[in-house]
Amino acid sequence: MIIKDREKVMENAATHENWKVCFSQLAPGLLLFARQWMRSNADAEDVVQEAFVRFWRKQHSVDNRALLYATVRSIALDFIRRDSRRARREANAFSGSEQSVEPYFEVDDESQQVLHDAIDRLPHEQREVLVMKIWNEFTFAEIANVLGISQNTAASRYRYALAALKRNLLPHE
Amino acid sequence: MNDFSDLEIELEKLRPVQPSENLVTQIERALAEAPGSAATAGVLPRTQRLHWNWVTLGLGVAAAAFLVLARIDSDHSVKQAPATASAPPVSSRTTPEKADQLVVSDLSQVVYNTRNEGLLFADDSAQPVRRVRSQTRETLQWRNPSTGASLRVSYPSEEIELIPISGQ
Repeated sequence: MIIKDREKVMENAATHENWKVCFSQLAPGLLLFARQWMRSNADAEDVVQEAFVRFWRKQHSVDNRALLYATVRSIALDFIRRDSRRARREANAFSGSEQSVEPYFEVDDESQQVLHDAIDRLPHEQREVLVMKIWNEFTFAEIANVLGISQNTAASRYRYALAALKRNLLPHE
Repeated sequence: MNDFSDLEIELEKLRPVQPSENLVTQIERALAEAPGSAATAGVLPRTQRLHWNWVTLGLGVAAAAFLVLARIDSDHSVKQAPATASAPPVSSRTTPEKADQLVVSDLSQVVYNTRNEGLLFADDSAQPVRRVRSQTRETLQWRNPSTGASLRVSYPSEEIELIPISGQ
């Protein structure tokens, strides 16, 4: 009985440590992903927390990253749907008429700030693919799975995003 | 290599903002709580919506309408033909060859919208599923060959499919 209890404690401890390890690896990318919909880091953290807790209770591993990111996306969209004022604000932000309140990235110099601003101006559907590909190292297959689109569409959006960035950055180069 | 390799290198140099220390503490607290009492981080739990099964409802309405009309039609034919009144009423309703009767002439189902609603966890399972919602319009038509009278019932229906997906 005591041995069983000890095993259970050890198992819980391992699980406890595992989630921290997994989360620490994913957290910056997850937060950046959530920021696609949330215009503040605090709101994005709320979404990431809700998604990760829901995910970890079911999965206990991050093998299926697509589901975790899809959970973040789903919660973020629910979050803004439930608050019409927030939704209007997000819609305005998505249209490019409003700059984000807080930065997505830790910028070191002016060129990175220019790049940051150019990313912020990307159409939403292109930006989310870019975020998953560059800073979360998703394959196009994983991106397609999260977004429910074809791999070709995911790859096209990525190329469009890069092309748009390059176009926007040209005057500054 | 592609035309964007330099740009991709520049993008990779950008470092996402780090989460606050508080986030790990909050997740730890939430995971320690019972699942039912988990903090929702300001997000209200998803309410269980009542989903009308429009297909069943529509078919039910159509079947009821058909039975009522068939009954009226049958009573009417019995009254008009007293010579055949001794015949069992059941046979008069079930004989498809009977001329003065509505018969199914058309059945169509048009899917006009299919929406992929993304990956999710099924209620009682850890199995991730993709929810696909299809909206259709179904039309049933009956026609009386002898009188040319027809009855058409058309109704919207919505179907939600939970399609299991393979793990990554």
